[in-house]
Amino acid sequence: MAAALLEQVINGAMTGSVYVLVALGMVLIYGVMHVLNFAHGVLFMLGGYLCHFFLTRLTGNYALAVLLTMAALAVVGAMLERGVFRPLQGNLRNQVIASLGLILALENLAVALWGPNALQIKVPATERLVALGELRFPLQHLLIIGVTAAVVAAMFVFLKWSKFGTALRATSQDRNAARVVGIPVERMDVASFALGTALAALGGALVGPLFLVFPQMGDAPMVKGLAGILLGGMGSVPGAVVGGLIIGIAESVSTLFLPTDYRDSVAFAIMVLILLARPRGLFGVRARGEP
Amino acid sequence: MKRLVALAALVAALYAVPALATPYLLHVMVLSCLYAIPAVGLNLMLGYTGLVSLGHIAFAGIGAYVAAWLMVDARLGFWSALAIAVAASGLAGALIGAICLRFRSHFFMIVTLAFGLMLYSVMNNWDDVTRGAAGFPGIPRAPGFTTLESFYRLALSGALLAFAIQWRVVRSDFGRILLALRQDERLALAKGVNAALCKTAVFALGSALAGLGGVLLVSFLRVAAPASFTLAESINAVLVVIVGGAGSLAGPALGALLFVALPEYLRVAAEWRLVAFGVLLVLIMLFAPRGLAGLIAEGWRRVARRSQ
Amino acid sequence: MRLVILLAACIAATAAAQDKVAVGIVTSLTGPMAPPGKFQMNGFNLAAEEINGAGGITVGGRKYMVDLKVYDTRANPAEGASAMQRLATVDKVPVVLGELHSGVAGAEAPVAQDYGVPLILTVPTGPNLTEQGNRFLFRVNASNDQLNLALVDFIQKQGWAPLSFIAWNNDAGRGGVNGMKKLLGDAKTGYVGYFNVGEVDFSSHVSNIRASNARAVMLFMDEEPGSLAIKQLRDAGLKTQLIGTLAMGSDRFLKRLDADRLAGMVQYNAFPPNADTPRIRSFSERYKKKFGEEAHGFAAQSYDGLMMAAAAMQKAGTVSDGKKLRDALAGLEHDGVIGRIRFDAKGQANPPVYVTQWCANGMRRILYPESLKADCGAG
Repeated sequence: MAAALLEQVINGAMTGSVYVLVALGMVLIYGVMHVLNFAHGVLFMLGGYLCHFFLTRLTGNYALAVLLTMAALAVVGAMLERGVFRPLQGNLRNQVIASLGLILALENLAVALWGPNALQIKVPATERLVALGELRFPLQHLLIIGVTAAVVAAMFVFLKWSKFGTALRATSQDRNAARVVGIPVERMDVASFALGTALAALGGALVGPLFLVFPQMGDAPMVKGLAGILLGGMGSVPGAVVGGLIIGIAESVSTLFLPTDYRDSVAFAIMVLILLARPRGLFGVRARGEP
Repeated sequence: MKRLVALAALVAALYAVPALATPYLLHVMVLSCLYAIPAVGLNLMLGYTGLVSLGHIAFAGIGAYVAAWLMVDARLGFWSALAIAVAASGLAGALIGAICLRFRSHFFMIVTLAFGLMLYSVMNNWDDVTRGAAGFPGIPRAPGFTTLESFYRLALSGALLAFAIQWRVVRSDFGRILLALRQDERLALAKGVNAALCKTAVFALGSALAGLGGVLLVSFLRVAAPASFTLAESINAVLVVIVGGAGSLAGPALGALLFVALPEYLRVAAEWRLVAFGVLLVLIMLFAPRGLAGLIAEGWRRVARRSQ
Repeated sequence: MRLVILLAACIAATAAAQDKVAVGIVTSLTGPMAPPGKFQMNGFNLAAEEINGAGGITVGGRKYMVDLKVYDTRANPAEGASAMQRLATVDKVPVVLGELHSGVAGAEAPVAQDYGVPLILTVPTGPNLTEQGNRFLFRVNASNDQLNLALVDFIQKQGWAPLSFIAWNNDAGRGGVNGMKKLLGDAKTGYVGYFNVGEVDFSSHVSNIRASNARAVMLFMDEEPGSLAIKQLRDAGLKTQLIGTLAMGSDRFLKRLDADRLAGMVQYNAFPPNADTPRIRSFSERYKKKFGEEAHGFAAQSYDGLMMAAAAMQKAGTVSDGKKLRDALAGLEHDGVIGRIRFDAKGQANPPVYVTQWCANGMRRILYPESLKADCGAG
């Protein structure tokens, strides 16, 4: 029993690391701009498609394709911020609708351009199996966890110790005060969106070789990542990490005790229960002016 | 007075539609009415009270399946089943709403989404009662309203009832409280409003209306399937309300008409149609956030100004 | 002189103006069910092309070209009802074919009955569809009940118990699992791992299946998730017997994985593409020629459906009377690619269900029915 439980915890941590990767991008954007970008999932999906495109058409080198994908989508993110989310700042409802419109447009664009069938990103080097005791995992899966961990560490260092990162944090805490101090707040917005989108792209590009690239690939990770952010605390990076992992692990462990067709419900039920106990999430802080 | 006459004429014209319309047009009109009913409920919640629920259509599903089970398994008549089903959705709305309303803004939205997904899971997985994913066929049309023409009149009546309820609520003190809650909750609280109670009440009312729509929908289609009550459908409902014009009386009607009629008439290259639709939504949010009703109102104002 | 030329031109024009019969198709062109929808459409398109290539359907001394009116129902019952309504009253087709999803078919069938337009299903497997007493509903493919009966027969002969499942949490997956559990009983069935369409991570199910010491794993899903599930099962070191759906019996599926991982896996099939039967061979070749890949069971079922509709139109002598067409279909016996098709009193056909197995060299053999057993390469 204990072995089965441990195995599911490991499975869940791996699934959860994908959710974390998606959540990190969303939390960065939310923290600075207080914008909840539902379209994050389709940007993740476009990351997968673009990586496939760059890998098969431009360069045979996977790492290079990933970097190109991140750069391309960072530009897209900047455009979205300027064109769509900046004008809608402060209006939660309209942002949500605009995000939904983006999801509709981009998901179907992918189908129109690449067809409805799933694509495969073949990177033979990452298909090797790595043994951990009795269990075996594809190298790509461990790569995802490693990259996620590296990104989290890098974000931590960046936000805490770099000048730009500090400026971002200042903007997220108090926009007006940041403006007074001379921080170019609009530029912070663009930067956070571009960075967040690049992280989404990274997620899609990493997940591609492990699974498949298809138009709906971002939908579930986005919703789960969102649940993770919520229960972790909306503007908090450690919250996003812990939240994403909790959701992943809860899902996997639940298959040991509960009918598997309710697996999704378990993750959401846990989110609701945690929020009822701690309404701002595990690491959430009360923002100034909130009741 | 003039407005009343115009309204009466409109209603009379709507009832007379079957005489002139083709069966296909009638079918589209029925669906528009059936989508408008839950939209009215959501308009009261979202448009007037500011509650963005992403799980609204799950309550339509509750109404639908309760009615289906009562009519087919328990052999109850249509009207009794309808009444019980609507009450059930309203009750579910009160209970689930009470939990969701403990959260605000983003949190509220995601928790309603979560409940919507959980309810969908029950509809999809509880094979013994709901017949599961393959759907619950054999649901009868309302007695006396079995033809397309007669069912249209029933659906229209249901929609008019929903709009009448909306009008009554908006005009009442309760309606004013809802608006106050949307605009500045703290101020309303300071004036002694029981915000939690009022919000739960509107959530319950909205859910009951969704339930009404759900029962009529599955009676029309003669099958209840989880596929009719997915997250995508709840999101559709939000779009209907917003694009139609949230917080306006006619909004749900305009939105429902647009969302049902337009796709039917645009059955060209499917994916590009949806891409265009998505882009259109973004543009509407940027340039016409008050939706169709807002555009029309703006249009009237310009005409009125010019005629002065 | 000018009059003669004008007259000649008129005659030429009318001769060139081809008579057409519009045939309604409902399917999923967009959304998550689009991949199986494409296979369905391929079958219809191939059939239409062949019918038209041979000059069309001959009725009453005239030849009618088949014109497919395709509507995307996107797995939504309301859209299905609307499409059916439109086909019946606006496009005025004499027959409608297709659909993927049982719930949507449940909304289309009553409309078909309302307007007297026969609806021929070629993919949905929900058993209760044909239990509603609808004389205008026909189904070419096997229902879940029929598929499960054949499979259970085969599995019990092999002694593969306990049986675990990984299944789509939709009508196809749940229907399959429920049917199998009912027939095999609780003693012989074990873990059931449901997942949503679009999910790709089966790790939790793989772990549980390993822990349950299942003798065999049945995969109720289409080829895309199927390839991932099998990859993850094999990567985890599980050597259990795999049982798949008809989607996992094609060369295209083989390309997604490799012969190593698939060797020994069995799957039920609507038709084995390389079987020696001439009609199957010929269909496979024509399909490969047009689409550049091996045929899918859904395509074969849909192809047969449209061919049958055409045959019924010729038999009934009408391209517009739905009721006459319905009667013709009810009594028709058709030799299709998937076998002999004849509708019973409930409108359900009883096509043979094959079980094929992957050999180590990437070929397939037929294991069931016993009478049609064939060796590697003929599956």
